[in-house]
Amino acid sequence: MSEPIIRLENVGVAFNAQLRVGAPLFWALEDVSLDLARGDRLGVVGRNGSGKSTLLRTIAGIITPDRGRLKRAPVSCQLLSLTLGFLPHLSGRDNAVLSGLMLGMRRREIMQRLPAILEFSELGDFFHQPISSYSTGMTMRLGFSVAMQVEPDVLLIDEVLSVGDTEFQQKSGAALRERIHSGTTVVFVSHGDAQIKQVCDRALWIEHGRSMMHGPVDAVLAAYHAAPSPPAPPLAGS
Amino acid sequence: MRLHLVELILFATYAELRAERARSYLGLLWWIIEPAMNMGTYYLVFAVILKSGGPDYVPFLLIGLTQWQWFKSCVSHGSYSIWQHLPLARQVKLPLQVFPSVQILADTVKFLFIMLLLLVVLWISGYPPNITYFGLLPVLLAEMVFVTAATYIVAALVPLVPDLRFVIEQVLQVGLFLSGIVFSLDGLPDWLRRWFILNPIVELVDAGRGILMRAQWPDWYALGRVALISLALYAFGTFLITRLTPRYVKLPT
Repeated sequence: MSEPIIRLENVGVAFNAQLRVGAPLFWALEDVSLDLARGDRLGVVGRNGSGKSTLLRTIAGIITPDRGRLKRAPVSCQLLSLTLGFLPHLSGRDNAVLSGLMLGMRRREIMQRLPAILEFSELGDFFHQPISSYSTGMTMRLGFSVAMQVEPDVLLIDEVLSVGDTEFQQKSGAALRERIHSGTTVVFVSHGDAQIKQVCDRALWIEHGRSMMHGPVDAVLAAYHAAPSPPAPPLAGS
Repeated sequence: MRLHLVELILFATYAELRAERARSYLGLLWWIIEPAMNMGTYYLVFAVILKSGGPDYVPFLLIGLTQWQWFKSCVSHGSYSIWQHLPLARQVKLPLQVFPSVQILADTVKFLFIMLLLLVVLWISGYPPNITYFGLLPVLLAEMVFVTAATYIVAALVPLVPDLRFVIEQVLQVGLFLSGIVFSLDGLPDWLRRWFILNPIVELVDAGRGILMRAQWPDWYALGRVALISLALYAFGTFLITRLTPRYVKLPT
């Protein structure tokens, strides 16, 4: 196995529970360790509130750990999010440019990819209309088409594998799976066993912000489903 | 700053200006009407009703208000900019200076329109263009740095203490009176004046009036001092935002 590009050692992340002086801290992640090597496809399972989304944001470098160690090779991470920074009064085209810039692309690159975005999103003449005139499905199609233009070293996916109506779902799902299997490193958070089995080669189970098990997909899923639901965690003191 | 961030700031400024056009019937006309109404109010109160100042009071007031409005609109609009974009900051890793910078740039574009209008009004009222106009560039550059610094600092603090939003407008209102915008600080006793001119706006507005009304070159020493203070504050503001960013993304939604 190659050298890990991202390594978490006993990482903990605390949030302020309320905007109040002396408010207690809430540890969304208590103690998570993982290694991510280039080309890994890691599935993350856990119950609601177990810290899966916080983990993705920590890997993305958006959130810094409050304890433990995070080591990261100089790699680019993209947290797959649709409609990033979209503004209603701007045209689909302008939103694509704005969103692309926020995702770290150069303006020239985005300009070159506009035809591909237009084609994939199937927006036709609507591409030049303000997105306030779009249906939810159309906005999602645009968002997905833009997000897919970025080519990060590590792709972080929170639940979303496909968007839009049935037809576009197949198309977007296929595009994303193609990306995943083209050698991109992927961390995929999901409640769906079938999707995890389909996409990932390893799995991590976290519970109340602690890594419980890390290993082959089938073994981790079996252990996860066999475990009883644990009680809710207490609020730690500040 | 990396180039794609410069491109992002410029494009987002364009988007912001378009948004304002889209949000009202009169659109871009408000860039002119709103400050004109504002100046009209001060003119009515201080020149007509209170009969302040001497013969040069109208240009004195208009120049002061133009420079002040630039500062005020940047700080008051920019103060919300990071706070408003917290959901976005949780989605993508971006240097958060981008958001106040966009607001500052958008307000600066509007300021430049007002400034042009001010020049026309001054020429018509008998204050013709003169050689010291070249001095406007360093004065406005120094003001730009100061405006950016002040906006960064306020924008950095509002997410942590959202209550500040209720205070900022009041502080700015007091600032208007303490900055020698509506009345001259010349009448103040020396010991008090020394404190007032620590405020960079006082020097900047003074320099602006000297150039536009009296064809007088700026006091370069004072301008240099203002520029240095502003640069130091700018560094502090940038430091604050960078330093506090890890805390912003953990604030309760």
